[in-house]
Amino acid sequence: MEQLIAKLKNEIIEVLNLSEMSPTDIDENAPLFVEGLGLDSIDALELIVLLEKNYGLKLGTAEEGKKVLRSVRSMAEFITENKKG
Amino acid sequence: MKAYIKGAAILSPQKTFGEKGFPGEVTDYHGVSYLKCIEPAYRDFIDPMVARRMSRIVKMGVCSALKCMQDSGISMPDAILAGTGLGCLEDTEKFLGSVYTHEEKLLNPTPFIQSTHNTIAGAVALAIKCHNYNATYTHRGFSFESALEDAFLHLEENPELNLLAGAFDELTTNSYNITRRMGLWKNHPVNSADLLNYQTRGSLPGEGVAFFMLGGRKGSDMAVLRSVKTFYKPHGYPEIESIVDQFLRNEGLTPGDIDLVIAGINGDFATDRVYYQLKEGVLGNRPFAWYKHLCGEYDTSSSFALWLASVILKDQHVPDCALLEDIAPVGIERILIYNHLRENNHVLYLTERC
Repeated sequence: MEQLIAKLKNEIIEVLNLSEMSPTDIDENAPLFVEGLGLDSIDALELIVLLEKNYGLKLGTAEEGKKVLRSVRSMAEFITENKKG
Repeated sequence: MKAYIKGAAILSPQKTFGEKGFPGEVTDYHGVSYLKCIEPAYRDFIDPMVARRMSRIVKMGVCSALKCMQDSGISMPDAILAGTGLGCLEDTEKFLGSVYTHEEKLLNPTPFIQSTHNTIAGAVALAIKCHNYNATYTHRGFSFESALEDAFLHLEENPELNLLAGAFDELTTNSYNITRRMGLWKNHPVNSADLLNYQTRGSLPGEGVAFFMLGGRKGSDMAVLRSVKTFYKPHGYPEIESIVDQFLRNEGLTPGDIDLVIAGINGDFATDRVYYQLKEGVLGNRPFAWYKHLCGEYDTSSSFALWLASVILKDQHVPDCALLEDIAPVGIERILIYNHLRENNHVLYLTERC
């Protein structure tokens, strides 16, 4: 899980062009939106594309999206659960 | 209707950004195929969290617009008017590349959103929370002039307005490679200062972003833009000469009233001919300046010429590097700009000292 979290942080930095940040600046338990990284709806779309492109995973509903994209850890958990399944 | 130039900011391959006048030192480029802009420290103008989503040209556009507003002391323009020949090319290429690579699936939204031509005017409006008139014109070599025409119409209706009018065009590796195959550029490396010495076809591509604050009331201005004229694909030199002559007559002037002509000479010996014909003809004996060895050729390069005319009129000095011959005019009251893009889009500007 920790390895996946580290990988995800790097992917998020790249896809959202957070060039001023390093993986250690991102708290995996902090909210990604509004607080924490302060991401917005366009970033949410970028993260959805990231999950599909890099992990072959699609989010079913908006509710699921809110849950999965809450933090880096919740994204990693979603990937782990669905990869296992 | 006159448009008073209350402030200007320009990003170019020269160190023009943040300068009050023409930079003290000219940047000459040796053995190059194109000229790229010297970029400023973006974080001085744009929040890094906002800038991260912007491509290079969007950052350059927003920086120039904000700097222009800062320098002219106007924090909220009554309209934002932009002109661009080719728009935000980098994001367009990124988006189209992604469409191709991923077979039209899994497309990242950001390059698509940022690839539209009106991205910069929109980004400026968002940055300053400006809900006023906002328009971007795309008409190849008439793009900036269309924005200026719109500014004139606005000022005709209400001279109290302050209008932010600008132009931008960027050069990417892909666009350079494609247009080079079309034969637009020199097929050998170029020293920018020697651009007129090669006697070959093609020019030196470049790029730039410029913003001007225009108003209808006299203040402490850089210069006045009296008139702009565009004409498309004229039938040979006699027609061009007649249009230039009529343009001056319409303003109640003769060629003798022009103290300096800034010409769009770009080093292509075939398409430059008309400038020299004018120099020998109707504009005979007027001092000539040129500028495309400083910024390169691009669709909205006349915005660089307008900036150059403004600083010359304000400082009453023509930089040596811009003079076509060693004849520097003194007491510069009026400057005529004449430029054409690949002999299709011809533009004339009449600028005057305040």
